[in-house]
Amino acid sequence: MAAIDQATELAAKPRARWGNRLERAEARTAFFFLLPGLIGMVLFLVVPIIASVVLSFTNWKLLGTPEFVGISNYLRLFTADPQFWPVLRNTLFFTAEYLVLNIVISLGLAVWISSLKMGQRWFRVVFFLPTFTPGIAVAIVWMLIFAPGGFFDFIMGALSIQIPSMLTDQTLAMQAVIIVSLWAGVGYNTVLFNAALDMVPQSYLEAARIDGANAWQRFWKIRLPLISPTLFFGTVMTAITSLQVFDQIYVMTRGGPGNATATLGYAIYQRGFQNFQMGYASTIAWVMFAMIMALTALQFWLQRKWVHYDN
Amino acid sequence: MKLSTVLAAAFFASSAFIPTVQAQDQVNLTWQMWGDENDTALWQSLADLVTEEYPNITVTPQISGWTDYWTRLPVLAASGQIADLVAMQSMRMPSFYAILEPLDAHFASDDFDTSVFEPSIIAGLAHDGTQYALPYDVGPWLVFYNRDKFAEAGLEEPALDWTFDEFKAAAVALTEGDNYGFAGQAFDFIAGPVALGAEYFNDSNEFAVTNEGYVDAVGKFVDLTAVDNASPVFASGAGAVTASGRFASGNAAMYIDGPWSLISTQGAVDFQMGVAPLPRGDGDSRFITAGSGWGISAASQHKEEAYKALQILTGPKAAEILASAGRALPGRLAEQTYWYDVAAKDVSGTREVLAYMFDHSTPFRLNEYWNEFENLITQYMPLALNGDATTEAVLADIQSQLPF
Repeated sequence: MAAIDQATELAAKPRARWGNRLERAEARTAFFFLLPGLIGMVLFLVVPIIASVVLSFTNWKLLGTPEFVGISNYLRLFTADPQFWPVLRNTLFFTAEYLVLNIVISLGLAVWISSLKMGQRWFRVVFFLPTFTPGIAVAIVWMLIFAPGGFFDFIMGALSIQIPSMLTDQTLAMQAVIIVSLWAGVGYNTVLFNAALDMVPQSYLEAARIDGANAWQRFWKIRLPLISPTLFFGTVMTAITSLQVFDQIYVMTRGGPGNATATLGYAIYQRGFQNFQMGYASTIAWVMFAMIMALTALQFWLQRKWVHYDN
Repeated sequence: MKLSTVLAAAFFASSAFIPTVQAQDQVNLTWQMWGDENDTALWQSLADLVTEEYPNITVTPQISGWTDYWTRLPVLAASGQIADLVAMQSMRMPSFYAILEPLDAHFASDDFDTSVFEPSIIAGLAHDGTQYALPYDVGPWLVFYNRDKFAEAGLEEPALDWTFDEFKAAAVALTEGDNYGFAGQAFDFIAGPVALGAEYFNDSNEFAVTNEGYVDAVGKFVDLTAVDNASPVFASGAGAVTASGRFASGNAAMYIDGPWSLISTQGAVDFQMGVAPLPRGDGDSRFITAGSGWGISAASQHKEEAYKALQILTGPKAAEILASAGRALPGRLAEQTYWYDVAAKDVSGTREVLAYMFDHSTPFRLNEYWNEFENLITQYMPLALNGDATTEAVLADIQSQLPF
């Protein structure tokens, strides 16, 4: 036995050395293959991220050299800027309403589409179409519809419904932005949830049916828990994109009327590229980043309570 | 062998030398300008004028849209990619003069006389007494009106020194059902109050938009919408398109714009249109003018050549081309006649109105935060127009957000 062990050990040693050499050579090759991607990531992701952290502590105005100002940008944002809290409130309001409506509508549509005997594919394409369309183009068309004296006002007038013009009313302007965002964003989640619903094994549903579960119970007790990982993914991604909302607001309202639709994403653009306060805009961007991180972390923590993984 | 080596070395040396000489002589200047695709040929024809005069200089226009232009400009300047010749609007000069080359030393070198240009735009393209650009166009904000509607309503056409009360009476009289007498937009709350004698700055050139005179004057324009319903509420995101669109479609009988829009507005309407000065208050008429021009980038490697090109681009021939095409009321006084005779020939009274307005022009007071002010006016004024807030409250809100 000992001889055999010794022989095995002797045989294994050069193989291990040879294996290490091979691994090292492979690692080197892999490194060179990965290098283009790595360079791109460092240049276009890591460096700008670090630069924006540094910029948030300066008063850089795009033109001229930046001066280090310590945490004064952050102090100004939280204590002196009269617009920060309304902007934060608008962002959270938009996110909450848009997120709930988006998930409810897209889930409803997904369930409806999956219940169809025919035309499933066709409806999937129809609802997914807005996702292909550039956001700016969508917002321009909707802006023309909602503009004072535009198509929407004409329809309301024809129906004798007394309603202020959407984009000039402080309350309705945000609702107009949400309607446009839903039109453009619901399709993606619909297709996502529909695919997940189709993956639910028919045998589970059939077993439940035999046990006497009605359609409502089958949805709540079987289908929803089984698609909860996809639902969670959709919720996280939608929350992140809605916290960053910009295109619709840039085109439709420019943050107005007043500050009714000014959000963090728009505030970054306004401070950075209209007022040329790059340092201050970077500060807002980092606050937005911190918010998104915190909210995503919260969602991951909450998922333990409602997301079921099938393992 | 030795000889061939020497010859080969001499050949390589000379061939390396030839392009160097050419590179020194031949200068290609880049020229950053806003505009749409339709304008490309026009700008190229101006660039060709430079090469005609100076065969060793070529100018390549780089055109971008108006809004993009102002986002790109500081980014290009900050990253060292700015063009040799840079288009500049007078209202944005306080924010951007630092990227331009002061021209006074160049003027001194060839005794260039700026008095051939309209004085208000020469002042507009200067900062703290230093000239940074030469103008290609100029113009005051004025009232565009629908002559047919004035005739139908039995109204007299506006006099050169018409008052705000007369303007308001006309706007109210021309309002009928869904059709408005006037279509207001954001900039009216700047040009309009100035014409009424109000100031948005204090004596130190800082924003003081809550002063009584300015609040009162802005309030007069607000009341056209909020009280008299003679003008629609504009949306903060729709920009200037709405007012000109309403005017062209006959939905509004008057709106305020500049001579730079006259050719496009004229092409869009199917009625007789006229222009009138902005209405005055109790005092004399006074009008602000704006315009655009071109300067030399402070970072340019070819400043001498750029200066030569600048003189051609803002010269008499270029002004004639732009004026005849209707693209610009020239900053050059002598060539303005081409614009009046060609672009404005079907709009009654243009020559008299503009002559009157230039005679009564007042310096357009600006500071480095001007852009912020204009954006805030666009964003917040709809609140006063739809009655959600008083004019005073809106202006106080704007003031609180302006650095001073």
